[in-house]
Amino acid sequence: MSGKRKNTPGTVRPQEVQHEKTFPRFSLAQRWEHAILLLSGLVLLLTGLPQKYREFSISQDLLSTPDRIELIRQIHHIAAVVLALEVAYHLGRIIYLMAKRRLPGDLLPTWQDVRDAGQMLQYLLFLRSDKPKFGRYNFEQKVTYWFLFFGVLIMGISGLIIWFPIQFTKFLPGGVVPAAKLAHSTEAVVAAIFIIVWHVYHVHVERTNLSMFTGRLSEEEMRIFHEKEYERLTSQSASKARPGEKK
Amino acid sequence: MRLRTSLIVTGLVVTLVSFGFAFSTASAARSPDKEAVIQKSPLNQVDNSTCLSCHTREGFTVELDSGEILPLTINSDAYEESTHGSNDVTCVTCHSDIEGFPHPDRTTQTLREVKLKYYTSCKECHTEQFNLTLDSVHQKSLAAGNQEAAVCADCHNPHTQQRLTNKDTGELLDYARLHIPETCAQCHSAIYDTYKESVHGKALTQEGNLDVPTCINCHGVHNIQSPNTATFRNSTPFLCANCHTNNALMDKYGLSTQVLNTYVADFHGTTVVLFDKTFPDQPTNKPVCTDCHGVHNIVRVDDPQKGLSVRENLLARCQKCHPGATANFPDAWMSHYIPSTEKYPIVYYVNLFYKFFIPAVLGPMLILVVMDFGRLMINRFRKPKSVEAEAPVAEPEAEVVAETKPLDEPEIPEPVEEPETPGEVSPADEPVLFEEQETTVDADVADESDVSESSNKPDIPEESKPLDDEESSNG
Repeated sequence: MSGKRKNTPGTVRPQEVQHEKTFPRFSLAQRWEHAILLLSGLVLLLTGLPQKYREFSISQDLLSTPDRIELIRQIHHIAAVVLALEVAYHLGRIIYLMAKRRLPGDLLPTWQDVRDAGQMLQYLLFLRSDKPKFGRYNFEQKVTYWFLFFGVLIMGISGLIIWFPIQFTKFLPGGVVPAAKLAHSTEAVVAAIFIIVWHVYHVHVERTNLSMFTGRLSEEEMRIFHEKEYERLTSQSASKARPGEKK
Repeated sequence: MRLRTSLIVTGLVVTLVSFGFAFSTASAARSPDKEAVIQKSPLNQVDNSTCLSCHTREGFTVELDSGEILPLTINSDAYEESTHGSNDVTCVTCHSDIEGFPHPDRTTQTLREVKLKYYTSCKECHTEQFNLTLDSVHQKSLAAGNQEAAVCADCHNPHTQQRLTNKDTGELLDYARLHIPETCAQCHSAIYDTYKESVHGKALTQEGNLDVPTCINCHGVHNIQSPNTATFRNSTPFLCANCHTNNALMDKYGLSTQVLNTYVADFHGTTVVLFDKTFPDQPTNKPVCTDCHGVHNIVRVDDPQKGLSVRENLLARCQKCHPGATANFPDAWMSHYIPSTEKYPIVYYVNLFYKFFIPAVLGPMLILVVMDFGRLMINRFRKPKSVEAEAPVAEPEAEVVAETKPLDEPEIPEPVEEPETPGEVSPADEPVLFEEQETTVDADVADESDVSESSNKPDIPEESKPLDDEESSNG
């Protein structure tokens, strides 16, 4: 659906061929953040899961010698540092925008999200025939952000503890180390399941939403999936503008 | 003539009979049977009493070329009581080079050479055990030129050895087990002194407790392997687990049988067990049981001086591999405990949290996604009908559920998804969709259904903005 481009009838000169009207959704920086999160997360999962599930033969093939374990761990640590830098940038930017009072609160959970979720449930139970109207980010997208926000936070802190147990046990009880080990690996599995079940479904199965890569949403996507935001941006009813070419 | 004939016949008979005896002796010799071996030697006629007539003399010795004194006196009573004596094994079965008196010239110069000269005799009867020793660390050492390496007779004195195993079951007899450490101590005396003070050694040597391991439980008997290999080290957890996961045995002493699985589940054990499966001969710096508990000096965990439950002792062990570890650090290792509200409650509650969190959060998410997919599919397949049939049904339904929301929004995607066929959308449907929105919209909708491809003029300034953004970000 997204990225669908339509050529205008032959009367238009080639250089005047216009894209379907689109709305900016993610800045280039945000898309880079997502790409780094995606890549580092993937590397972390691929190097982390074999360490957790050592009874599988594929893990044993991968980790069969001390050298290989060391290598896998180093890759894991490098990816972790990359992700940590990304998170630091993300948090830094949030603080910077908050200080400037320019942080858009679009991602903050509100009671409207709870109501939206309730209405969505009714819709899915055939108690309603329509989906709720969503703003810039619907409750599903907010859940995705906050779920992974806290997941990465938990994995980051617990990962640091099991990476530097000697330093952390200087001021924390020793029991936090096995606890962090458990939390780290379990949270990773939870996050992996979450991404596969929730995120992959919503951006690839329910609809192909590539705005995190293209940076933009088409007008029809805006109107259908983010009607409130669309209305706010166009200051008119969603029904008014149909997908079409603008010259 | 008669005399000649009878002589020839007698000669033939004697020859045949003697041939028959010769064959019967030869066939008996081929059998590996112990008795047969004993009978094999044509010298078995040399009775033990013949030998003992000289060799019971007190102080009967001979000086070897090395200057060492070889005692030649045999305690005949002790020999009769020994397993060899009671099984009628003759002296010449082993001392097969002795054919009578005078004895042949000595070929050995030292006491050790005397022993090494005869130890292969054991093979004749004890083939199985002898072959096992050929794989042992002792034999390898001997082959490498160490004459002191233990051979059969170093552990089993052939002149006094008692029976060690039950004749019927083959199991080691209690008295034999009890004295194993002393046998090994003939050479490995320093280790024996340590073992004697360990929890295992004390129980064996002081209480005669046969539940504890002796040397051979860990090191094997005749095919003793070097304990200094990575393979031996990596297999240590399973070695200890032989007893320490035995419920009946551990219950007797109130010991946990969870020591192996807790070790395997924690940091160190995971790796060691992995290596044991993949390349067991590779060295690892991860600790095995003995690195913390000791080897021959194993003490009770709650030993007030040396036990690992004394925090300083455990910390000292941790610091061997984790220099810089401080007082809290040993708790990072869960000491074979399974987390509970008392032991490692943080770990217990983290586990509990995820036990509830996963089904309580991921479960509903999965259900929602499945429902969403279901509704998506239903909408897709019912689409052609739904435009006409569902709209009137949806109207009363929506009124009951919510007033503020626009109805039948899912119908909107349909014209959008297939903008080429706007005719499929029945015009009658459109007013229903936006019935509860502002009235001004209705006019627009009606207007739009007619000229769906045209854009509205007032929109242009606002629409151009995002487009500009796109161009700038693309460029």
